[in-house]
Amino acid sequence: MIARREQALTYTILGVFSLLALAPIVGIVLTALQSPDSVRAFGALDGVHLGNFSKAWDQGNFGSYLKSSAVVAAAVVAISSVLSILAGYAFGTMRFRGAQVLFYVFLLGLMVPTEAMIVPLYYDFRDLGLTDTYWALILPQAGTSIAFGTFWMRAFFRSVPRSLGEAARLDGATSWAALWRVVLPLGRPAVVTMMVLVFMWTWNEFLLALVMVSDEGLRTAPLGLAFFQGRNTSDFSLLAAGSVIVALPVVVLYVFLQRHFIRGMLSGAVKG
Amino acid sequence: MASVSYREVTKRFGEVTAVDGLTLDVRDGEFMVLVGPSGSGKTTALRMLAGLESVSGGEIRVGDRVVNEVAPRERDIAMVFQDYALYPQMTVYDNLAFGLRRRKVAKADIERRVRQAADSLELGPLLSRRPGQLSGGQAQRVALGRALVRDPQVFLMDEPLSNLDAKLRAQTRGEIKRLQHEVGTTTVYVTHDQVEAMTMGDRIAVMNHGLLEQCGDPETLYERPANLFVAGFIGSPAMSFFEASTARVDGAVRLARGGLAVDVPDAPALPDDVTVGVRPEAARPWVDGAGLAGPLEGSVDYVEALGRETFVGVSIEGAQLVVHHEGRAAAQPGDRLRFGLVPAGLRYFDRATGLALEPQPSTIPSI
Repeated sequence: MIARREQALTYTILGVFSLLALAPIVGIVLTALQSPDSVRAFGALDGVHLGNFSKAWDQGNFGSYLKSSAVVAAAVVAISSVLSILAGYAFGTMRFRGAQVLFYVFLLGLMVPTEAMIVPLYYDFRDLGLTDTYWALILPQAGTSIAFGTFWMRAFFRSVPRSLGEAARLDGATSWAALWRVVLPLGRPAVVTMMVLVFMWTWNEFLLALVMVSDEGLRTAPLGLAFFQGRNTSDFSLLAAGSVIVALPVVVLYVFLQRHFIRGMLSGAVKG
Repeated sequence: MASVSYREVTKRFGEVTAVDGLTLDVRDGEFMVLVGPSGSGKTTALRMLAGLESVSGGEIRVGDRVVNEVAPRERDIAMVFQDYALYPQMTVYDNLAFGLRRRKVAKADIERRVRQAADSLELGPLLSRRPGQLSGGQAQRVALGRALVRDPQVFLMDEPLSNLDAKLRAQTRGEIKRLQHEVGTTTVYVTHDQVEAMTMGDRIAVMNHGLLEQCGDPETLYERPANLFVAGFIGSPAMSFFEASTARVDGAVRLARGGLAVDVPDAPALPDDVTVGVRPEAARPWVDGAGLAGPLEGSVDYVEALGRETFVGVSIEGAQLVVHHEGRAAAQPGDRLRFGLVPAGLRYFDRATGLALEPQPSTIPSI
């Protein structure tokens, strides 16, 4: 009896927290579907009006913003994944002088918030003539993502039995081949998780885009959304539709990769 | 195939010296076992030969080539790891073929060699499985096959049987020995299990604290251990020791310890104080005293009945000895037991240095 009561309690608590987490999201989706002409409360449903989305898309210029975001996010994910895998492999499997100190330098990148470096970064990029280019968004984010990615991949490589790479090397593989053919294929969940997280953080980055880019054509989705919201302060359903458009790619990506993602998250905590 | 030689090889990890001036020659085609307790440096010695650890000092040769600075993949050495280290995402076939593919062996040749190795290890039905779907024994055979298929100059094996249950271990021992004999490849085998060492090695190198204590064939190590460590390490149950003073009495040597004295005929010349080593089979129950020195009487501490034979632990004057009985023994813990020592089976060691005093040429006579 106690077990059943405990179970009921567990589900109640889970239910309450799920509700708390989901309510705002469901509210925004429902608001985005409201009729644009009637003034309704947040989250109330009065039929399905998909017109809000096309209107927001056109007025908000979201096509261009999403494209910018996609370019930046794809580049950051690609660059930081490759470099994180290589750096994590070195830190996780090789012994070399200064490894520890160097690793702490990498960790520093995890600890410094964008706000702390944004101003000097802006002047540096301006001197290099890189402001108002995609590089101004890609390079700093790739840099901070490598800090996290190296930390993440190092943990994965340390969890792989050493003997596996050693066996490959005795079997005739170079360190390079041992990495790509033997060790890394085991790390697909870890790599996918890292890529999803980096994609998400890059996609949602706001401050960097705000400071580095003034050209409308280079604006990323969150920045575009902010400008869009500034222009349409009263049309809730339109605002909600814009928010859904901006959030959708991350949600879709997550839904497709969630199996890997959860396995990757768990593999860090539980030795699998 | 090739010989292997270590010349004054040393390995330091920071302040710790894991292997200290190891000099050892492994002959072409020989099965050499490195044995010792954990931390003795045997695995480090093996890993240096594989190229997985750098060498702090000295020289390692495979054949005529000094390999100190040669990458593992260029040493033409295959290794069986303790945890097998099979590539989990590849099938058994791909595991076996991996090394050959890396070496750009022709496809038809790979196919032939993998099939051949699979046949000799009865892996045929498993070739399309992944390591996760194999039992411990099967995984072990795949690991052996992966080494075998490469036809390398030298096989290295790092405690390959330690993850198997006792029955499978005994079976696989014979299997490895058979395969090695068939292919005739020089093999260096690391184990902490002296039974494995005794049953498998052409020769055995006993290591302790990074030092090579003795190297020789199993019989030499058993019959003529060079020092106390080897004497105590090789043999199961282990050799028992007691310290005694010596005196010449009518052509025999009297070993005295407290109130105990035993006259040993035909003993070599000994210093005044020695450590005496007694293998269980050199301590036998006293029946009529024929051929035995004694009698001695001690109290029984424990009885290990193995069916065909029984080992009885006896305390006498503060020393612990193991007495060997054929078949069953009637003794119970707490009983008094009369026994004698086989004179030719006693070993004597210097009390200060622990070195064997007189290598004994004769073996223990069987009754």
